[in-house]
Amino acid sequence: MAESVVVTGLAARSALGRGTSALLARACIGEPAFGDVTRFDATGRRTTVAATMPGTPVLADELVSVIEEARGGRYDCPLLLAGHADRTNAATAAEVARGLGLAVPARTYTAACVAATTAVADAAAMIAAGRADRVIVAAGFLVDEDIFALFDAGRALARDGRVRPFSAGRQGMVLGDAIAAVVLESATSAALRDAQVLATLAGWGRSGDAYHVCQPRPDGTGLARAIAAALTRAGVAADDVGYVNANGTGTVFNDSAEAAALHIALGEAVDRIPVSSTKSVHGHALEASGLLELVCTVLALRAGRLPVNAGYLGADDDCRLDLVVDRPRETDTRYALSVNAAFGGANTALLVGAP
Amino acid sequence: MSEVLTRAPGPAVLARGEWPAGPDDQPGTLPQIAGFVVSAFNPLVAQAAERCLVARYGAAPADAEIGARTGVVLASVRGDTATADAVRAALLAGRRVPPLLFFQSNPNAVVGYVTARWGLAGPVACTSPAGDPLADGMAVAELLIADGAADQVLVIAAELATSDDETDRAVAALVGP
Repeated sequence: MAESVVVTGLAARSALGRGTSALLARACIGEPAFGDVTRFDATGRRTTVAATMPGTPVLADELVSVIEEARGGRYDCPLLLAGHADRTNAATAAEVARGLGLAVPARTYTAACVAATTAVADAAAMIAAGRADRVIVAAGFLVDEDIFALFDAGRALARDGRVRPFSAGRQGMVLGDAIAAVVLESATSAALRDAQVLATLAGWGRSGDAYHVCQPRPDGTGLARAIAAALTRAGVAADDVGYVNANGTGTVFNDSAEAAALHIALGEAVDRIPVSSTKSVHGHALEASGLLELVCTVLALRAGRLPVNAGYLGADDDCRLDLVVDRPRETDTRYALSVNAAFGGANTALLVGAP
Repeated sequence: MSEVLTRAPGPAVLARGEWPAGPDDQPGTLPQIAGFVVSAFNPLVAQAAERCLVARYGAAPADAEIGARTGVVLASVRGDTATADAVRAALLAGRRVPPLLFFQSNPNAVVGYVTARWGLAGPVACTSPAGDPLADGMAVAELLIADGAADQVLVIAAELATSDDETDRAVAALVGP
């Protein structure tokens, strides 16, 4: 019998603020944190807008700080990190581990926009199999000049400086900072130490599109398999899902493919399930975005308030979803999905349950 | 790093491929992939994967039923340093960053190339390991299989040379029960 996986700690910071209160509050009123970049000179780019934290945050320091906040005490457990693939990953991981008094993580997950959620799935797999009682997953992305220039060159950034997921007139993404950490634990371990259970990780699923180097499979069948796998693992029917925090990058092809995936995976229930993408307020934090969105999803479920899909201008026939627009929606649902998709057709779905 | 394949516990190695594999594999001889420029990293990954999958299946694509349950893990300690350096150099020189570098700068992209060509539709994981990349890639693959997320996994470990004394190297192993 697999161990049940629960969430016993979380922390996050982004351009919306430090701490989870600001994150949920601003997500629920749909107040984006977008502004002109001052961290580097973005002159000459197609846009100069991103969602950056004030000052000059240092990735390793921010990770140590957010992990300390999430773990709520000194204890040993495996640490899994997610971040952008570069030659400094091992050094950053070692520095973070040293700062926390933990063993150096075996690896940093770098699979683009599903890096952090892949780490979450691996952590959950370790716990479910009894290989670990507790695992900390942390991810960080700070908008920098090189990444900004790459996304600008790829014409992926919204020229109007707004993320408009699933909306008519959407133009693309806005990059955003995110540092987040989540403590996953077996239900048995949490009960033994009388830890507060913030949520369950009822299911997780992953899949590949086998389609293209950077475009999603347009019919959504790849992502739908990840969602279906998460629901099947949890033994939860689509009718019992009461919210989807969508990948919703605000790009034309990604959003339509994701809408198609939600229709396939959730069937007729999709018409009754509220959907929003919190990227519409915190921007796209690439390798870290999925973890920030998982934190948002847990917070929303606990508060019974669903974040707004900000930036919405009007319906797109290719994205027929029950979007949360204008104001947050109250809910008493017990299950919410957090969905992510990435370059190379990599897909993940995490099913969060009320404790 | 390929000695890992003969001593690692866990799933069986069903096939393997590598670059370089012999004296004909010299710098500059890697088959090019459309859309991937500047760096040898992605062609290196693709060629090791190709040799491994050809050894197992002969020609692309893999059997659809098997492919649907085959995941891919790409492990690289340093990643595509050549593309990263090209981006930095362009910015320092005040030049425009070539649009093709947008997707090739991310390791998922070449995995997308391999999975599309061979019809591998299982989970995709890219990692930057702290230790031996092939050993860590095998560990990630073993967990994917144990978790029921895939029946078999193509593990690729790739590193670009860091000095003139070294060679770009990649090893691929298809592992499964």
